[in-house]
Amino acid sequence: MKLELKNIEKNFGEKQVLKGVSLVAEGGKAFGLLGRNGAGKTTSIRILMNVFPANAGEVLLDGKPIDYKKIQFGYLPEERGLYPKKKIIDQLVYLAQLKGMNAKAAVKSADYWLERLGMTEYRDKRLDTLSKGNQQKIQLITALTHDPEIVILDEPFSGLDPVNAMLLKDVVKEEIGKGKIVLFSSHQMNYIEEFCDSIAIINNGEVTLTGELNDIKRAYPRNRLVVRSLQKEVIMEELGACCSEGEGDVVIVTLENPEDKAAMMKRLVEKFDVDEVKVMEPTLNDIFVEYAGRQV
Amino acid sequence: MKQLWTIFKFELKSYLANKIFIGVTLAVVILTAIVMFFPRVEEMVENIKGEEVTEEKEDDEKAVMLIAGAQGELVYEAFAAAFNDYEVKVTTDTLDDIKKQITSKEAECAFVIDDITQYTYYVNNKALADHNTVVASEVLQMVYRMSALMNSGLSAEEAEEVMTFNVEYETETLGVDQAQNFFYTYIMIFALYMVIVLYGQLVATNVASEKSSRAMEVLVTSAKPTSMMFGKVLASCTAGFLQLAVVFGFAFFSFNLNKSYWDEMGTISAFFDVPASLLVYMLVFFVLGFLIYAFMFAAISSTASKVEDINTSTMPITLMFVVAFLVVFYGFNNVDGMLMKVVSYIPFTSPMAMFTRIAMSEVAWYEITISIAILVGSVIGIGVLAAKIYRMGVLLYGTQPKLGEILKAVKKA
Repeated sequence: MKLELKNIEKNFGEKQVLKGVSLVAEGGKAFGLLGRNGAGKTTSIRILMNVFPANAGEVLLDGKPIDYKKIQFGYLPEERGLYPKKKIIDQLVYLAQLKGMNAKAAVKSADYWLERLGMTEYRDKRLDTLSKGNQQKIQLITALTHDPEIVILDEPFSGLDPVNAMLLKDVVKEEIGKGKIVLFSSHQMNYIEEFCDSIAIINNGEVTLTGELNDIKRAYPRNRLVVRSLQKEVIMEELGACCSEGEGDVVIVTLENPEDKAAMMKRLVEKFDVDEVKVMEPTLNDIFVEYAGRQV
Repeated sequence: MKQLWTIFKFELKSYLANKIFIGVTLAVVILTAIVMFFPRVEEMVENIKGEEVTEEKEDDEKAVMLIAGAQGELVYEAFAAAFNDYEVKVTTDTLDDIKKQITSKEAECAFVIDDITQYTYYVNNKALADHNTVVASEVLQMVYRMSALMNSGLSAEEAEEVMTFNVEYETETLGVDQAQNFFYTYIMIFALYMVIVLYGQLVATNVASEKSSRAMEVLVTSAKPTSMMFGKVLASCTAGFLQLAVVFGFAFFSFNLNKSYWDEMGTISAFFDVPASLLVYMLVFFVLGFLIYAFMFAAISSTASKVEDINTSTMPITLMFVVAFLVVFYGFNNVDGMLMKVVSYIPFTSPMAMFTRIAMSEVAWYEITISIAILVGSVIGIGVLAAKIYRMGVLLYGTQPKLGEILKAVKKA
């Protein structure tokens, strides 16, 4: 299964919100959709889910225009909210029915997911009696009860404690394992780094960077070394201008030529008391700041 | 279609499970029951009381009414007959003494009659429903006329016959009796008005609260906005109709249980004497009138982000509806007038106006057909427009757009 957005454009009144967004997400993998606030992520997601049409461009599934009657989406919106005064099981079943499930199957599936996320005791409670984190778990269930082919999770980890975050990670991994397309949108770069094989960074309605995360990282020059040592000052004095100070015990050594890195590593390890030395890879955070911070 | 049905069921269920909805319906039903059973209960209470009263009659003192002045003696008999719930006494006390007796509550009131054409009424606190002067004036007029007739040579019997002469008459209504239909038409129009205003507001609140709780974020990706809007409106229409049916059904049922006690009360009996055809018209105009306003309420409220904004944003519709109601209410005086004829074709007033005309006058079938056709067309037109506004409105947050802006955007889309 391969989902493609091709040159999507969208105007709201005079304002062009999306200026030709293209990206490719594949089944069995997680895709990270990144961008600053107001960059056009939610609009892209809404066009993808057919909430409103694009002014130009197309959404393809396996190369053909997507058939919204056949393909189901599961969506966890960033702005959470369900019916605060209604019983949890009632709203789970209602939303699953809206997605085309029959009542019986919807109850069964909702019960399965309540059990899976450890929420069975709240089944017949009203939503507003639950804590924020638990409400979020209920909202996550609404995205999964109808067993959608494409799951879109917008900031899924915000507000979850570490135990619940673990639980959510397991669930997401399961869904990916079933061959589904999982689309993440988040500002928590560590989670995206952990899950997503591919990413796209949207800035001002344009995709400024997209591709496999590993490829993107490798494309950066590998001419910097991270050196962790208790002899930080000594190293800096010895190597001079090519050093810069990192946080804590870290010294960052920049080489003129990346091919010299083995020699430099050897030199460092032999000469000083070094705890760790490795090639410095850009973090997703660095990449994000570079591509999403750019003013177009 | 399946989605519409799912939404309809969900929304209807939440109306029917709503404690306030159940409470209000029950309260109205109980109130109706109290009214309907009132004559029966009253009679029962009177029967019990009646037995006690006959036993205690001697202790039961009547209030005292004093008659004074030059003509006092002359009119005593006539007053005693007219005011039989007073103990009427003739007195020759001075005016000051009479006043004292009244302020000290020895006597309740006094008539000082110096001349048969003029009197003074003394009372301590004049009650709102004090009709003693009206009765006294009538009695004195009677006495005056009797004495005039007798002075001109008639015997007492002849004079009395002249005075109590009655004209007998009969009425045969060939068309519609407006006096008889007025009552139930009024009640039905008022019920229509209440249900549309109440449920219109409920639809508006319902839409806005889905937006403010952000449940809309998930809903728009799960269901078509048109299904959402039509599902909601139809559910509230059904809930409103059910509520009306329960209240009127129960009123009808309890009226029939107590029918014999109500026979003297013409208006109430007339109310339950509604022709079946009129009930069908009621249903037709209720549904169409409800839909046209509920669509507008839904569309406007979809552009509001918060429940608090609902009252201000739906104000124009509510005002329009109040004006429509007042116009029709004013037209009650002259149901065949030009005003009523015109407003019975305008879709925003026709549900009430045409219904009033059908109930209280004779309307040609083609007039009814044209009116309903215009109304149906408008319901469809406004429904389509409302669906378009709704689809856009539900995703709008922030400042509420002006009506002109909304329509412009709809035209573009």
